[in-house]
Amino acid sequence: MHASRMRKIGWAMVLIACTALYLALHLRVNAVKSEVRLAERKIVALQEQKMLLETEFETRSNQQQLAAWNDVEFGYKAPGADQFLEGERQLAQFGAPPQKGAPAPITVASAPAPERQQGSFAALVATRAVAAEIPKGEAPRLRSGDFLSARLARRTEKVAIETLPERGE
Amino acid sequence: MNALTFSTAISTGRVELVNVRQRSLFTARFRVLWVVLAFAAVALLALLRICWLGLVQSAPQQATMAEALLPPRGEIVDRNGVPLARAFPAYALWYDPKALGDGGAPLVKPPAEVARELVAIFPDMDVKWLTARLASGKAGYLRRRVLPEEANRVHAIGELALEMPQETDRQYPQGSMAAHVLGFIGSDGHGRVGMEAALDKQLLDPARRGQPSVLSIDSRVQGALEDELRRGMLLVDAKGAAGIVLDVDTGEVMALASLPEFDPNQIDAQGQKDMFNRVTNQVYELGSTFKPLTVAAAIDNGTVTDLSRRYPAANLHIDGFTIHDDENLGPSLNVPEMLIHSSNIVAAQVADELGGKAFQRTLIALGMNQRPPIELPARGFPIWHNGDWPRLRTMTIGFGHGIAVTPLHLANAYAALVNGGIWRPATLLKLGPNQVPAGHRVFKASTSARMNQLLRMIALYGTGRKADAPGFRVGGKTGSAEKACDGGYCRHQVISTFAAAFPMDHPRYVVVAMLDQPQATAASSFQRTAAWNAVPIVGRLIPRIGPMLGVMPDASRDIDISELRPLVEKDAEAAEKTPGGAR
Repeated sequence: MHASRMRKIGWAMVLIACTALYLALHLRVNAVKSEVRLAERKIVALQEQKMLLETEFETRSNQQQLAAWNDVEFGYKAPGADQFLEGERQLAQFGAPPQKGAPAPITVASAPAPERQQGSFAALVATRAVAAEIPKGEAPRLRSGDFLSARLARRTEKVAIETLPERGE
Repeated sequence: MNALTFSTAISTGRVELVNVRQRSLFTARFRVLWVVLAFAAVALLALLRICWLGLVQSAPQQATMAEALLPPRGEIVDRNGVPLARAFPAYALWYDPKALGDGGAPLVKPPAEVARELVAIFPDMDVKWLTARLASGKAGYLRRRVLPEEANRVHAIGELALEMPQETDRQYPQGSMAAHVLGFIGSDGHGRVGMEAALDKQLLDPARRGQPSVLSIDSRVQGALEDELRRGMLLVDAKGAAGIVLDVDTGEVMALASLPEFDPNQIDAQGQKDMFNRVTNQVYELGSTFKPLTVAAAIDNGTVTDLSRRYPAANLHIDGFTIHDDENLGPSLNVPEMLIHSSNIVAAQVADELGGKAFQRTLIALGMNQRPPIELPARGFPIWHNGDWPRLRTMTIGFGHGIAVTPLHLANAYAALVNGGIWRPATLLKLGPNQVPAGHRVFKASTSARMNQLLRMIALYGTGRKADAPGFRVGGKTGSAEKACDGGYCRHQVISTFAAAFPMDHPRYVVVAMLDQPQATAASSFQRTAAWNAVPIVGRLIPRIGPMLGVMPDASRDIDISELRPLVEKDAEAAEKTPGGAR
């Protein structure tokens, strides 16, 4: 009799405890849920702000604006054919002096090659390249606009590149 | 019981007193009970409410994050993902004179002062107009598209009548760039004119508007095309200009511009006038640019088999109509010379030998008898003659007169001419590798290869020389057609066109530039023909867009024209003596 009553009380206690735990858990879950909702709201607000800034940036830097600035301030132009290289083979061509009796570089149709055609790119790679050829009798000075390709075109003798910068600068 | 007996025994008055006391005590207790019950009920209700909120929590109706982040109208981006049109959360400035609700003056401060403060925030507004507007007491928009920062400053003025409702707005970050491609949004929230109209359903569909709609346009190319067209148009004082860059292998439009343009961010009366799309909606007699099509049709049908054959170049008299050239080009010309010098007389003879039926078949295959195939809602119907063509019509169409098509038709036809002979519809939507339409064959591959050589020769030795950007192997044909007016042609109103493709050794893109009524100015050496106005535009454009489109300039490559060069030896020598000149 006594034992069964104790058991009843025990069950009730367990039930109460479980309910209390459940309640606590449930409240916690809801608290987290509302935190998530707040975070979501913040994300939306930030996204909106981001879009606003992005759009403003895009608008201020629109193509017409940039083109206008370029016309007035910078004057950048589209790179010409002589500023592009097809591959290693074409790059190697810059370093090789033309063989004796070799035909002029072959282009299928007539495209008169100007004097300093490979100039600008060669200037980029010029001074500290592996080796360079400079004319025999000429004063060993780098003049402005005196690019590798132009130097290569002259009659040449091989000199070590190490001495070039000192003389040139 | 005893007490009752006793009290009855004492006096009835006292009994009554006790009764009253008891009754009032009872009433008091009863009332206390009610108050306690009421409190308890309220407490219980509060508790229940707390439990309800804690346990069930029917959250207030609010959008999920995904819904909140879904734009009210889908974004439009270019092929590289650069936004061209987007929904943009902005505020409006609304004037509500009844906001104070007391029936008195709508504003706390005098209207002139409020107007001054508003102008300090929005410098482009007019104080006088604003003062009058505020004093009139009429509700309405004072301004649309207000930034949050400005909205805060308006709130700081402290006038309740100035309301700042949040609105979603359509913003075109690139301003007027690609305006004719994009279109704009009308006040009803639906698209107008361009892809905004064409994609309206998709842009509003909740299931699809989360993903941006990708156009085939490349905004860098579009910008360059508009720059160069505008420059060229202003230099020769033309009424308008049109340009298109088309991928010859897929039909994707890389850039499409019609000038003068409008600003989709701000539609005004002038903008309404400029909405007209010259590339897709207006049909023009495009003149000599048709000659390569004539020659290609003739080669394809076997009526031109020998390019060295010479045709007489004396004026032709057909049915009381004289076909003549602008200048005397000598006694006879072969087909390459005809293209280089743009001879109407020889083109007419080539078309005549080809015959109306075959020529018509080719032009129908090129889609010249129907509206141009593109998504835009405004597409012009060509001036096209059904039925059998009389001999004279065949001949005039041979040099591009008597038929009027849009510049887009021409670009599509040139794409088929240079890409190996396959015609594909143009599209403004970016295509995946597996979405490219199969198209249909119009020219044999051999014809196309031959035409590539001939087009290159025009740019090397003929009227297209100012477009021969070094290393880009440009080929193309000029056309300068007099505009039709008052039943005839006006000598001084021309449409000058240059239809080009590059690089000719493996054509990737077609470029068409067209000027409407260019004037003879110093910039064009006082000439009106395409060689002096439309050609230089393309010559400046191609070096700008080539590298962006993956065409690297290479001076050591070109299409092989060595077997055709002897046919035009004199012109070739003359051209090589004066590089970069134009005839």
